Amino acid sequence: MDLDPRGEPFLRTRFALPARPATFLLRPRLAAHLDQALSTRLTLVDGCAGAGKTLLVADWAARLGQPVAWFTAESGDQGCGMFWAHVLQALRSAGVPLSPAVGCPGDPRSVDRRLLARLAGELNGRERPVLLVLDEFDRVASARITEQLEFVLHHAGQGLHLILVARTEPLLPLHRYRAAGIMTEIRDAELAFTADETAALLELHGLRLPTEAVRALVERTRGWAAGLRLCALAAQQSPDPEAYLKDFEAGRSTIADFLLAEVLKRQPARSQDLLLRVSVVERFCPGLAAELTGRGGAEPLLAALHGQNAFVEDLGHSWYRLHPLFREILRAHLRIRSPGLEPELHRCAARWLHASGCLPEALAHGAAAGDWDFTARALVDDLAIGRLFTGLRASDLAGLFAPMGPEATGPAADLVRSARDLAERDVERGLFHLRRAEDRLAAQPPPAAVRLSCLLLESLAARLSGAPGMAERAVAAAGEPLGKVSAELLEKHPELTALMLTHLGAARLWAGRFDDARAALSQVTACPSGVLTAPPREDSLGQLALIDYLDGRLCRAERTALAALGETEKYGVGGRRSAGAELGRLVLAAVAVDRGELGRAQALLDEAAASGAPGDPVTAAGRSLVTARLLLARGDPRAAAAAAEPALPAVVASPWARTQAALAGSAARLAEGRPDSAAQVLGAVTCAEEPACAAELAWARLAAGNREAAIELLDHMRTGTRCGPRATVRAALVRARAAQEAGDVAEARRLLARALVEARRERLRSPFLEAGPGIGHLLRTPFLQGLAADWLSPDSRRGGPPSTAADPSPPVVEELSGRERDVVAGLADMMTTEEIAADLYVSVNTVKTHLKSIYRKLGVNGRAEAVRRARDHGLLRSREHGLP
Amino acid sequence: MRYEIRVDGHMSETLTEAFPELEHVIMSGQTVLFGPVIDEAHLYGLLNRCQSLGLRVVELRQLPE
Repeated sequence: MDLDPRGEPFLRTRFALPARPATFLLRPRLAAHLDQALSTRLTLVDGCAGAGKTLLVADWAARLGQPVAWFTAESGDQGCGMFWAHVLQALRSAGVPLSPAVGCPGDPRSVDRRLLARLAGELNGRERPVLLVLDEFDRVASARITEQLEFVLHHAGQGLHLILVARTEPLLPLHRYRAAGIMTEIRDAELAFTADETAALLELHGLRLPTEAVRALVERTRGWAAGLRLCALAAQQSPDPEAYLKDFEAGRSTIADFLLAEVLKRQPARSQDLLLRVSVVERFCPGLAAELTGRGGAEPLLAALHGQNAFVEDLGHSWYRLHPLFREILRAHLRIRSPGLEPELHRCAARWLHASGCLPEALAHGAAAGDWDFTARALVDDLAIGRLFTGLRASDLAGLFAPMGPEATGPAADLVRSARDLAERDVERGLFHLRRAEDRLAAQPPPAAVRLSCLLLESLAARLSGAPGMAERAVAAAGEPLGKVSAELLEKHPELTALMLTHLGAARLWAGRFDDARAALSQVTACPSGVLTAPPREDSLGQLALIDYLDGRLCRAERTALAALGETEKYGVGGRRSAGAELGRLVLAAVAVDRGELGRAQALLDEAAASGAPGDPVTAAGRSLVTARLLLARGDPRAAAAAAEPALPAVVASPWARTQAALAGSAARLAEGRPDSAAQVLGAVTCAEEPACAAELAWARLAAGNREAAIELLDHMRTGTRCGPRATVRAALVRARAAQEAGDVAEARRLLARALVEARRERLRSPFLEAGPGIGHLLRTPFLQGLAADWLSPDSRRGGPPSTAADPSPPVVEELSGRERDVVAGLADMMTTEEIAADLYVSVNTVKTHLKSIYRKLGVNGRAEAVRRARDHGLLRSREHGLP
Repeated sequence: MRYEIRVDGHMSETLTEAFPELEHVIMSGQTVLFGPVIDEAHLYGLLNRCQSLGLRVVELRQLPE
């Protein structure tokens, strides 16, 4: 099943061409003008409410004889992620073959620019252009979405013909499209009915009027379609239509308002009641209408109203909606006629929609009714509490529940509050609300879904506060209720168990139980990738990457970290609060430090830091570890010692975090020339369990002047699967230096050779760079120089071609997108940011965004460097080749 | 800020209730809605409301305090 970024199924009715009523009048002049849409890139059908835009385009599209992708926007769709997910779905529904590589936005609020570039690229490659209609575009037309739409339209070239139907002019640079002659425009003046068309329309309603009367009617309504339609209806129902229309012409009331009241009052009481009540919902079916009116038999009424073309539009599949203009006016009538009924109707709609499984709509109406206990309960009972962290993401639901006040006292309301707090990383408040909910639930055993919600929050709180025992207990307790909820519900919410296991894995990782952590996290990464599971998968991959790194396996850590970032890209998730992406970047930065690529490490670290304060202790420890190592490598021991201090308080101290902090602290003191102080820092640390730690510790002890302690540590070091290359390299270096100090140079060389062979595969440079002058001297012997050539020895690197001279050239982490190559090409031409923006038809900010991601991908810090790197990798090409 | 919005035609009592924060007066074939407007967001909201109710705005101006 296809899910939108909120994790809900798409509504089919929004991708269907609206049905034309029997009284629809085909107007050939407009259809002919619309035919130009087949040859222009952009078509704008722009007119006031009720001008007949939608039906005109729908009728034209239905007659076209080729598939048209249609999407009706709704004001609830705020956010570019939602918008683009629906556009992609519209294209797929229309049979446009899009490769899975295009991906799908996973976050309702944002979309990855690369996804749009891929979409545009696929469209551009098509032989037959795609026709895409966006109806009621004004409802979603934020500046951001419009800018993205322009981007896609521009880069899709002749592959996309876009038709925008809107009440207001979109923020596109229309003058440019007009000047280029690639735009078709149909506006109010052209949409207005002429006298002949009016006569024809009236005839469809069974009314024949003298020419003069028709002319007067056109003048009074200014050819406004909705006005004419209401006129015809009102006149039809009056005993003397002609006299009625004469009276109307003479009147001075506002047209829609007056006519609608006229038409409404002539409907039977039941129909009036039905029309007023359904005005609170966006769309309805007979069942929902029956619920809102409190009586059955809505179906024939709806069919009759649709047949008369009176307000009700048929969306197919037994769903209807009110014409948007009439719905607004009917709501005004509802408020006057039955004050106070509106919240009641919202509540009814919420209950019915919840019972029918339409959770997002149910939540929206529950919130509109201000019935927070119901709304929170609907969310919790549906096992959807995890949606506060994935899919819908915190911001959307938090926005919905933002107006919730203290009046909601149910346990579900407290669970929602707790989830909101925890999503904001406020553990104290989160736990307060969670405990209060549990107290309120204590009276009787709560249903399984409620208990699972509590346990999910419990596991998250445990992770955030660094309490592995609490996480273990929560996940163990979840087994029983998991067996009790229906398989169907669990299948609908794969994020629940994925989130729980991720939090468990994080808590185990914090506790230093790497194997157990890996077991939990691998379960998450093994589950199928999807919109709902992308955030926990990304999170888990980030943590697995950290474990790989702590194990001393650089290449593997790098691969896993890139997979975490790849998950982000695939679904366009990875907002500011994305733990996995941050951890992934930290691991890449740590790997870069170990390889001596300090510029790249700094860039990655800055990017990771851009996501604000670290969310959990693991990330905080990871960040201080990388920062301290980088500062040490840069020769700033004082700052390194300060950075090594743990940043977040935790219930349980983490063995590896403590050891890493001590190692960095000792290295910093050694660098400052205080070996005694360094030895003191290390004194308290024991870590015989982890070989990676033991080797580092041995190195630090040796450096602090305690050779015996160092060798003893190594002798007791377990060597096995856990022992990554960094540990073995370090251990070999420790022994080599010890041998050298003991005067056994041959043994030292032998050990160094082993270390070099081991390190070469991982391009692990830092242990040798830090090894001190003694080892450096040994490395210059010819045999070892051969092993260090190409990757470690500075001489051989300097001897290469000039372009690769300066820094050890890191690999290009990610491929540049076509657009980014264009920007680099601009840089190579010495263009300013503004010039590139003008040249590429995009905003200055867009160019800046491209620049940032180019610097990141190339691992550079500036323009000149970027151009050089791009040239080295053959990424520069002539821009005359056109767009990607 | 105080504004007045002139709308073409006579609005019914029902419809003027859709603008509860504004007063209104009907004169010479037009309805004048007037009153305090909190900020620009409110102003654009009012214009949107006019549009979605099918009202034709013929004039919009800020009133002296």
